[in-house]
Amino acid sequence: MTQDVEMHEQHPAPSNSYSSDSLSTLQHLKDIAALIETGAFSREVRRVVRAVRWTIQLRKKLNDSVLSAFLNYVLVPGSEVNSRLSSYITKDDEHDMEVDSATSANQAPAKHSLPEIEIYCYLLVLIFLLDKKRYAEAKACSSASIARLKNLNRRTVDVLASRLYFYYSLSYELTGDLAEIRGNLLSFHRTATLRHDELGQETLLNLLLRNYLHYNLYDQAEKLRSKAPRFEAHSNQQFCRYLFYLGKIRTIQLEYTDAKESLLQAARKAPRSAFGFRIQCNKWAVIVRLLLGEIPERTVFMQKGMEKALRPYFELTNAVRIGDLGLFKTVAEKFASTFSSDRTNNLIVRLRHNVIRTGLRNISISYSKISLTDVAKKLSLDSPNPVADAESIVSKAIRDGAIEATLDHANGWMVSKETGDIYSTNEPQIAFNSRITFCLNMHNEAVRTLRFPPNSHKEKESAEKRRERHQQEQELAKHIAEEDEDEF
Amino acid sequence: MDSKITEVSQMFDRFQASFMRKDYDTCDRLLSQLKVLLTEFKSLPPLFQETPNNIRELTLARHIYEYAVILSVKIEDQDAFERDFFQLKPYYTDARSRLPPSAEEYPILGLNLLRLLVQNRIAEFHTELELLPPNALENPCIKHAVELEQSFMEGAYNCVLSARQTVPHETYVYFMDLLAKTVRDEIAGCSEKTYDSLSIKDARQMLLFSSDQELSEYIKEERTEWEIKNGFVFFQRSKESTPCKEIPSLQLINQTLSYARELERIV
Repeated sequence: MTQDVEMHEQHPAPSNSYSSDSLSTLQHLKDIAALIETGAFSREVRRVVRAVRWTIQLRKKLNDSVLSAFLNYVLVPGSEVNSRLSSYITKDDEHDMEVDSATSANQAPAKHSLPEIEIYCYLLVLIFLLDKKRYAEAKACSSASIARLKNLNRRTVDVLASRLYFYYSLSYELTGDLAEIRGNLLSFHRTATLRHDELGQETLLNLLLRNYLHYNLYDQAEKLRSKAPRFEAHSNQQFCRYLFYLGKIRTIQLEYTDAKESLLQAARKAPRSAFGFRIQCNKWAVIVRLLLGEIPERTVFMQKGMEKALRPYFELTNAVRIGDLGLFKTVAEKFASTFSSDRTNNLIVRLRHNVIRTGLRNISISYSKISLTDVAKKLSLDSPNPVADAESIVSKAIRDGAIEATLDHANGWMVSKETGDIYSTNEPQIAFNSRITFCLNMHNEAVRTLRFPPNSHKEKESAEKRRERHQQEQELAKHIAEEDEDEF
Repeated sequence: MDSKITEVSQMFDRFQASFMRKDYDTCDRLLSQLKVLLTEFKSLPPLFQETPNNIRELTLARHIYEYAVILSVKIEDQDAFERDFFQLKPYYTDARSRLPPSAEEYPILGLNLLRLLVQNRIAEFHTELELLPPNALENPCIKHAVELEQSFMEGAYNCVLSARQTVPHETYVYFMDLLAKTVRDEIAGCSEKTYDSLSIKDARQMLLFSSDQELSEYIKEERTEWEIKNGFVFFQRSKESTPCKEIPSLQLINQTLSYARELERIV
């Protein structure tokens, strides 16, 4: 509460011919700067976290004049930092003058030379350049900021530093030069680990994995991931990213069960507005599930906002479900460009085996006895010797337990076994047992993670919100009570 | 610098000559000497320094390692293959922009894929596959290996065996022979689950034996449960299909007790 009061006591906005919009942005920026100062002086990281969050909200409203005004306000004008950063912003002279006069009239700004403020200015300019798509300048700016960061070792800078690393990597990726910074990222990761900067470690590990996966270096990515120190995730977004990269690595290494778990968890934990990320997670999750032999439900493809992007995968699932090799081939060729841009081409090739298995399963269920030539025809195996192929494929499928049948080589038949009454065996008990243990485990884990609600960590509930919440709780209680009454 | 290069190239010529003569011992000896000499060059991985002759040095070194790889196939040493291939890999990946492409690149890459397949390291097979550029899949050597893996996974073993006739490169023959042995084991495993019995002639054909004698030896050594009777091979599957009539009581008791315990914990 005291925090909020402090903010409102700030100097009233000077009146000038500015549009009120950009002025309030400038005011916000000044507030944020003040917040960072207090955070730095009191060594409280959470204030800096809050400052960063406010900045992200302001992102859309930044423009050149506001930025140059802000830079002149917080940094000593003419200092090396100020001149370097201002060179990235095209100055708008007349507004500049007005703001200068206005601000100098109103307050005696204490020129702070806190490193946090400096780094924050770098961050702000970098975000602005990236949003305006000036990638080359962003690259130069980020390299300069990284050079500055090397000398600092303060916990309060860590939050800003991790953001800077992220944008640094992003600016290089957008200009296509990711390989250059790999060495730098590795040395930053080492430094972050030495200083026990866990947020930095997490961010940098994710950036490194992204770097390796961009160039398809799955082997090296896995080596790094297995050796890097692991700990409780500090940031939900970073954890989601980590799970996604882990899922990708596991898929390529043919460990489909682990991959499915990671990918589905990443898709669930991701914030609702992160559409692009969730679409990617879902694409990979669909393929992994197909490779495992299970067909994803239709609702997966019908999620809001993702229908168009998931359409190729929907048709692919259809082809696999029917078990028709011809259809599978047409679909794969039709959407080949989508698959190659998603880099899932090789995985689609692996799916051919699953299509054949499904087709075989359908045949074995429908026919009690069928000749191998007919099997080959139904599976549309295109090879020089389809009958012999069909025979060996069927025998492998029988050995793997996918179908229950026997072959008669002399007559060239496949004879399906009668599926006995499954309820007379132990199967239902085993299935029930696994489900029961799963539910009980989940219950135990939930109990273990119960915590008291964090009080000062997150944003405080303002009075209205608290009233609202009380109201809702009361309504709910009343509702339940009424329901109970109705029962009797 | 030039003198070193000439020395190395001279020794390499001697190496190539003994390779043509199939004198593999001399080749081996010369190769170790060549490798020691190559450490003098600073322009090679991992240093990659810019020296005036670095293109020549890089090309020469790459050529040497390619021959080393092929030599290891000829002397049938799989560990040496792996070592030399790993040393060769940086020339294909990192130095790709500096050097003209090598004619042996795709055959050697395909050979490596085949080796991973034979050693049943399928995860590494796929990881290596990811590293290849998309147009590499059109190359016959790579395509051969990829199709082989697919047929192996699907179970179309006769495809695998017939592919032996269509090797794109004569160095592939060694690995194809190894693969044939793996395939035979797989076919035997599948057959015993699938067929009740097979005539001797069919069994021999499927398992690729050239005579009945070999077949009976194989059965005696590896597959002792099979029986040969009246010209048929019986796979002894009669014993497994009787359904078990007893209830696994101990397991059920354990499970039910754990349910009771967990339910009590729920407040």
